[in-house]
Amino acid sequence: MAASARPARAQFSLDARRIGMGGVSLTRDGNLRRYNPAYRAVKNRPGSGNAKLTIPVPLGLIQFFHDHPIGKLGDDPMFNPDSAAFNPVELVNLVFNLPIFLEVKKAPTPTNDVEFTIGRNAFAIDMGAAQVLIPEGEFGLGGTSRLLDIGTPSIKGFRFSVQGFENHDIAFLLGDSLRAFLKEGDSARTNTTYNLLGDAIVQAGVAPTLSFSGRVTGRGTDNDDGVYLGGAVRSYYGVTYYRADGSGGFTTGDTLFGGPNPVSPQLEALTYRDNGTTKSFGRGLGGDVGIVMISGPLEVGVGVNDIGAKLTWQDTRVDSTYFDNVGDSLVTTTVRNHVESTTELPVSYIANAAIRMGTGTTVGGDIVNTGRGTVIHIGGEQRIGMLALRGGVSRDQRKKMQFGFGGGLRLGPFGLDVGFWTHSNSFADKRAITMATSISLY
Amino acid sequence: MKATASACILAAALLSAACGEGRAIFNVDVYSFLAGSGNDTVPYAVPPASSVDSFTVQRIVLPGGFGSSIVDSVRITSGGANLVTSNGAGSIGLSLYVASDSAGTHLPAALALSVPATTIPGPGSVPVVITGDLSPGLNALFTQDTLWIRIAATGTNPNAGPLIGKMGLTSLQLRVVMQDKIF
Repeated sequence: MAASARPARAQFSLDARRIGMGGVSLTRDGNLRRYNPAYRAVKNRPGSGNAKLTIPVPLGLIQFFHDHPIGKLGDDPMFNPDSAAFNPVELVNLVFNLPIFLEVKKAPTPTNDVEFTIGRNAFAIDMGAAQVLIPEGEFGLGGTSRLLDIGTPSIKGFRFSVQGFENHDIAFLLGDSLRAFLKEGDSARTNTTYNLLGDAIVQAGVAPTLSFSGRVTGRGTDNDDGVYLGGAVRSYYGVTYYRADGSGGFTTGDTLFGGPNPVSPQLEALTYRDNGTTKSFGRGLGGDVGIVMISGPLEVGVGVNDIGAKLTWQDTRVDSTYFDNVGDSLVTTTVRNHVESTTELPVSYIANAAIRMGTGTTVGGDIVNTGRGTVIHIGGEQRIGMLALRGGVSRDQRKKMQFGFGGGLRLGPFGLDVGFWTHSNSFADKRAITMATSISLY
Repeated sequence: MKATASACILAAALLSAACGEGRAIFNVDVYSFLAGSGNDTVPYAVPPASSVDSFTVQRIVLPGGFGSSIVDSVRITSGGANLVTSNGAGSIGLSLYVASDSAGTHLPAALALSVPATTIPGPGSVPVVITGDLSPGLNALFTQDTLWIRIAATGTNPNAGPLIGKMGLTSLQLRVVMQDKIF
């Protein structure tokens, strides 16, 4: 319940097949190749269902623009704050749930009354059902991206490349007093600080990388059976980074209402940044490892990324920023300059398994952590001639179970797939259901 | 600094606005403002064969940011006072005035609620219940972050001796229901 106030990070896929299996991918692409370097040496299984191209059918967009004509967006209650029906939560939910696919069951948006109790030294809020909007635990977003990958062709499994990386992680946590005030209906108190704690980092750079991926057993056979290993050693050159830790809010005065100074702003933050003037890089070494084992119908793999990726920034400036209540202004001072600081890239990993039975049944699962919470997918597909039936479950980053089911029809090189997926990507405590449709070319 | 006073209130208001077509309901303990500043008592002294007004005025602070909201209703959900008379007999009527500034509470248009006169049979304490809807014409005032309330005790004394006592407020809770629009 704690985290139910915030939307789950979307485990979004444009492939209705994957959505129909609760998010699991039974083909050797996508997350497997991204997070397990050994998979780069594994060929796609013939007839395994790897599509050359998958095109989503955006039924959700058609519905959206039918409901919200593009020429009348200015008067649309969804976008017009002057409308009595305007609901910011609905707008945020739209951002978290881009209407590409059809939302066959929307998560309800809280529309209940909110009651405030106000006295000279009392201030409490009863948010009713809308209380689920208040996050009890940490909330935020983060992830690591490989922005580019330019390199040589693979020579006996070895490859040299230059990869770009970007890592961001922004996290917030309600302070104890603010959480009790908003979540538990506790009355505000005099001379008390109500704040939000924040922690954010953004870093980016390039990383010359020497990688290897190859088959170490089973070579020479006409099947894929064997053990595959992959690894990469990376020298990180951080180009820029910015980090901030602090809190912001307000402190109540001697009297909540009616006093001369009811509240005072509170802001304290320490910020770290590389000194751009010297153009020094944040340096560090790290790497990836991966292994895949294939034995007949069984396939398992594990991949870990950015192991030991700790960057040392030789020339950092540390600033302190606070709100000066006397001067009624923000004050920033440099606490330390030209000092060393370190940052880390989060370790991400994937573990997967799949088994293909001879009866047209394939089941599989994976555990993925991209640096901000573990997601588990388990799903399967049953092929019956041209038809495919699919189902699966997943546990999202909020540790909520989600369910998927669907089917497909394949006619030669064309496939039409439909997948239904429950999700909690909305500010609500109930799941929504999305229907995804896509066309694949094989 | 007053602008910053709205910080927590604005946050709450944002949350309230987040509830779409739901309403924002404010239960305002007016008595706490009056008691906190010692304005919860109105003494009255009415000479023989005359009528006299006594009053107390109090500033009330409300959450800001609701200037564009529409107030559906303002009601006194719980209110009471004791008329403690030390001498004489007569009657005491209570009136509640609301305005955006102190001086405005003395205008007839600021009359929000009248409580019918209560008969004072003689020395002693007589409880009075104060409830009812406030005049709808004043609803818009409750979208402001500051308003003024004047509570007047109108004493009527038809007798030969003076009517002396005090009106002590024991509770006064307002319930303001509004369609919140803070953007």
